[in-house]
This record gives sequence, C-alpha cells and structure tokens, in this order.
Amino acid sequence: MAQRIAKIAGIVALTTFLVSAVAGAADLKGLTKELFAVPSTTGNEDALAAKIRGLLPKGLAVETDGLGTVAVRISGAAGPTLLIAALDGYGHMVSGITPEGYLTLDRPVAAPHVRFDAFLLGQPVIVSTAKGPVAGVISQPALHLLTPERRRTLVDGFSLENAFVDIGVRSEKEARAKGVEILDAVTYPAVLTELAGDQWAGPDLGLKAVAAALVSVVGDLAGRGAGEETVVAWAAQTKFAARGRGARPAVGAVRARSKWQPRRAVAVGLIAAGKGDGFPFPGGGPVLIQSKDTATPLRQAFEKAAAAAGIPLQYMTAADSSLALPFAAPPGEVITLALPVRFLNTPSEVVEAKDLQALRDLLGRFLEPGGAK
Amino acid sequence: MNAKLGRTAASFLTLALFAAPAAAQSKAWDILREIVLVPGVSGHEGPVSYFIQGRLPAGLKAERDGMNNVWFTVGSGKPHLLFVAHTDELGWIVGGITPSGRVRVKPGGGILPQTVEARPVHIHSAKGIVAGIVSPRPGYDERQPPEDVSDTPFTAESFEIYLGVGTEAEARALGVAEGDPVTAKKTLTDFGPGLMATRAVDDRAGCAALLDAALRLKPELVKGKTITFAWDVQEETGLFGAAELAKTLKPDYVFAIDTFVSTDSPLESRRLAYLPVGKGAVLRAIDSSNITPKTEILKVAAIAKRRGIPIQIGNSRGGNDGSVFLAGGAVDIPLSWPGSYAHSLIEKIDRRDLEALTDLILALVSDWK
Repeated sequence: MAQRIAKIAGIVALTTFLVSAVAGAADLKGLTKELFAVPSTTGNEDALAAKIRGLLPKGLAVETDGLGTVAVRISGAAGPTLLIAALDGYGHMVSGITPEGYLTLDRPVAAPHVRFDAFLLGQPVIVSTAKGPVAGVISQPALHLLTPERRRTLVDGFSLENAFVDIGVRSEKEARAKGVEILDAVTYPAVLTELAGDQWAGPDLGLKAVAAALVSVVGDLAGRGAGEETVVAWAAQTKFAARGRGARPAVGAVRARSKWQPRRAVAVGLIAAGKGDGFPFPGGGPVLIQSKDTATPLRQAFEKAAAAAGIPLQYMTAADSSLALPFAAPPGEVITLALPVRFLNTPSEVVEAKDLQALRDLLGRFLEPGGAK
Repeated sequence: MNAKLGRTAASFLTLALFAAPAAAQSKAWDILREIVLVPGVSGHEGPVSYFIQGRLPAGLKAERDGMNNVWFTVGSGKPHLLFVAHTDELGWIVGGITPSGRVRVKPGGGILPQTVEARPVHIHSAKGIVAGIVSPRPGYDERQPPEDVSDTPFTAESFEIYLGVGTEAEARALGVAEGDPVTAKKTLTDFGPGLMATRAVDDRAGCAALLDAALRLKPELVKGKTITFAWDVQEETGLFGAAELAKTLKPDYVFAIDTFVSTDSPLESRRLAYLPVGKGAVLRAIDSSNITPKTEILKVAAIAKRRGIPIQIGNSRGGNDGSVFLAGGAVDIPLSWPGSYAHSLIEKIDRRDLEALTDLILALVSDWK
C-alpha cells in the first residue's frame, strides 16, 4: 500500500514537473513574443523598459539608475549577485528630415559589423515617435533604371549616406505632423518567422529572448527568494562604450556596477552560433564564456546547476565583452552566459526554443537556494 | 465674373457626377490588398488565376488555358479592345537542397538579391508553406570589409535558404522539392489610409484594377464593340502568357495594365519618368517595348478629361504584354499607375491612382471608338 502511494506520488510529481515544464516553455515563448513586439535601441529603451516593468511581479520594487536601466532585487543571503542583460539593441535613429519629407538616418552607436547598414536597403521600417509608430520604407532604386554605375553606388555601396526613409509624405511639415522628430528610433517591424525545429527568426530576437528569460526567472523566484541576494538588471546603453583607452566597457554596465556594487556578476548575452568550427552551435545549450579557461567558483556553480538539471553547456574562451568588462576587476568575479544565436545582428536572428529554455532553466537553478553555492 | 463662377461650378458638378459614382463603387483597393498576398511566381500562377476566376461575375463566361491564362470576352463588333494584366510575380524556384538541408535556388529572380539577404522567404511546397531565411553572406559580421569583397557578389546563384533543419532528408520531409516556387515573405506597409508598399504590387495592382472593372462592367457600356479582359501569366520571364493569348486573340487595341516605373523617389534622377505617386493613372506612352502613337495618346487623354479622371503621361523603362500583339496589327496603349521602387519588396501605390486606373478602363470600354 505504502509502495503504491509512493508510486502514485511519484507519478503525480513527474506529471506536475512535466506540466510545469510545458507551462514554463509556453510562458517563455509568450513572454518572448510580447517583448519582441517592442522596439528598443540604445538611448531609446523606454518602451521596452516599461513593458518589462509591466511584466514583473507586482510586489517587487523596481530600481532604476537614471540611464533607463530597470532592475529588481530578489532577497537572499549576503550578496548581491548581479544578473545583467541588455535592454538595448542595435538600430538607427532619425537624424534629419528633408524638405521633401524623407528622413535621413544615423546610428546612436557604432555598427556591430560592416554590413549592418546595408541590410536596410529596400526594407520596411518603423519610426517610433511620441505619437506612436509610423510606418516607412527605406528607398531603393528601381531595378529598371539601374545602370552599372548606379548599382555600384546605390546598391553595392549602399550606406547611410543614401538611406532615406519614405513615410508617405511630401514635406517636412507633414512628417512632423505625423509626430516624427530627430532622434526617434528606426527599427525593422517585429515580424516573427517560425522555422522548423522550434526555431524562430526576427530582428533583435536574441535580445528580446534573453530579456524574456530574465523576466521568467524573476517571476519564478520572486515569491520564494534566491539562494543569494540577487539584483536582476535589464541595462540601458549597453551598446555604447565608455570613452577612454584600452578595452571599453559598456556605459550601462559601468553604471550598474557603481549602482549595485555586486559581489559577482553574470552577464547574460548573445553569441554568434552556427558559423562552423570554433563557434558554438545552435541547439547545443547555453554558452559559458570566460576570458581565461579556469574553473572559477562561478563557473563551477553553473556547471553544478547544469549537471543537476541535465542542461548541456558549451564553453568558449574570449575577451570579456563590454557588458562583462566592468565586473572583471578583482575582487569581483564575472562570467558570461550567452544564448547561441544564428545570423546574429541581422534582421533575422534565429533562436532555438530549447536553447532559450535551457538558458532560463540554468539561471533559475543557479539562483535558487543552494544552487549558487 | 458671376457667370464665370457659375460655369466653373457647373464644370465641377459635371466632373463630380461622372467621377464620384465610379470612385464610390470601386473595390480595387480591397481586392489589391488581398490578391497581393496570393503567391504566384512566374510559371506557378495557379492560385492567382483561381482567385480571379472565382471572383468574376457569374454571368461572365471565363476561359482558362493550360498555362493558367484567364480571360473573358463580351460584346461583338469592331473595334476589339483587349485589356490585359499579368498574374505572375517575381520570385525564385528551388534548384536543389544541400546535404546540410539548405535550399538553393535557380538563377534569376528579378529582385535585388541584397534586399532578401538575411530575410524571410516562403517556399510554396506541395505540403504547404515552408518558412526559411536567406542566409547572410559569409563574413557578413566582420568589423572591416573583407579585402576580396568585390569578388564575392551576393546573387541568387550563391545564396542559400536556411529552414531550421540540418540535413537534406529533413528538408525534404518538410515537403521542399526541386521546382517549388519561392517568394519573399510579404508584409504590407501602410503609410496611411490609401497609401501602401509591399511586394508584388507589380502587377497585382493591374490584376485588381481589371477585376474591379470587370465587377463594375455593365453590358450597355460595351455598345457594338468586342471587349476582352485577360489575366495572363509569365510576363516577368518573357511575355510568354501574352504570346500564347496572341495566337487566338486578335485585338485592334490592347491596353496592357502594368506598373509605370516612376522616379518619384529620393534616389532617382527626375530626368525621366517623374510621375508622382498620388497624381492619377498613367498612360505609359513609351517604354522599352512599345511606342504608342500620338493620336491614340490624345484619344485617351480626351476621354479621361471628359470623365474627370486624373491621368499622367510619361515614358519609362520596362516592357509590357501589349507589345506581343503589335505583330498581329494591334495598337498597344499601356495603362498604369505611378509606382515607386519597382521590382522591390516595397513597391509603393496610392489608392487614388488605382481607382483612377479602374475608372479609366471603364471609360475606355464605354467611349473608345
């Protein structure tokens, strides 16, 4: 009888776990979709910050840093541990309005790669204005009228110098009447493409997926606390590097360090994947990145949490990212945990659902009481 | 002064009486927004021609050939007017699948390949739509341009489509096979009411205008003429559908309804083809395939003026289906709307131009001698 009860209890526990895992996965996908719809570029993070605030458990006090960063504190033993992820993605902004009503573009930060601006050619975009989103397209030359010379300059050599946003107006006055102002963010429309193998693709999808994972973790731990006091921060201006010589940390991360003075930090970021030998592969699980291949206490804690939860890990040795850099100086400790993303920093970043779920579960397991020891 | 004002008012009233009812009845814009999303790469226009055939008035006896050309003829006598729009759109055809499950396409496409790099596409397989992403070129994420950048053009021949699978067998299990058509994933950009941009406005706008005209066609308008409305295939790959129609149809006048490649754009020279979007239908007087006789241009302009239909007249580049009928003795008079960003993912069109085009088609059916 007792054996039977134990068996039933086991089945109930297993069922509960499975139901909870399925529900968790659905929840994470739903969160990702919600955040995916909200544009966010460096210096224009307000909308995404507001969205995240709205998704956080009501009882948690939201802390800010004056730059636009949003953070919450989860109670626990001495700390704090800082979990920091980016709130801002790469993007463009309105830099001018021509007399004919076309918008010119600039970037708030340096491009992540050489073809970043070229992806704009002939694409739909959204201008995020104070009056709401304004739809536009990036002008491209008509194929029928394209001479070899024009192809060289306007297509092969496309740059922000010849990028004009057409928002369907005829004058600067009409553009302003739509609410368009200098500095408004210009991003691709949030169109999600579902691929085979439970993979999704879309602009800035990696950023939004990681942000959603952190929202999910906070929702899970808010009621019961973490093993160690933890600040979870979605940091603004992480693509903007502080001025100075040598390696340049992200301004948002520098600010987070001085604001929360963590004992240790986990930078949750993105890593280009699926590029062949030497790169992480999508579907292989989260990637632990360190500047030196040493078994630090943080790394060991993650390895233990991953082993306990049956989560695969990938490893990479690379210089600390601008997000992790401010926390690297002793006696602090930092590690980067990254989501593998195919076609990173293109209009179609590809994320595998199982990698995202594994990242979220690993963070949850790491933070829960006993997990981070 | 008063008499002059009175005459002006009367003129406006006359114009309004002619133009307003037609504009109020037009459903061309709604038809366009629907039909533009129907896939129909050249040689695979079936869904588009069925869409059209399914919406034609029941009383019209539509014909269809093996190529998926669709047409109907009403009335009898001379002259015989043919109005024709093409149902095909630019896209690609699956040429093969790599061992790693990436899809390769055959050369061609007609769209700047750079504009679909790292962009979603739809493969229209026997099992349904399979989504994919055109892989960005190798080294796209370098900080500095590779030294050999000029030697690595990004072309349809070189790009691969990522489906989310890792093997050829998995790709085939999704239903993907050689010969499947591929289109860019379409989105509608609405600048505001009645102004939008999307893929395949060329020539679904022509299809929509002609279908709208067919829905508004009244038998008494035809009056002693023969009128044929046709939706043909494979224009983009060489006017093949029109050539097939030309074997049996011998019109006196052919009005090809297709894009006017306008230079209403910040990147174009306004030396030619500057017919602004939103300023009316277009008579495409000279293009790469046809020169319309001046006498006919004046006839169209006079009818439009009498009916209060705004039209613009210009010359541009590109060919049109009507040119195929020149050898058979027809006069080719291409009609259009001013289209910015032709052959792109963002072909732009104004509702007023489309409705003016529909009104012009009906006016020509009625008034052409």
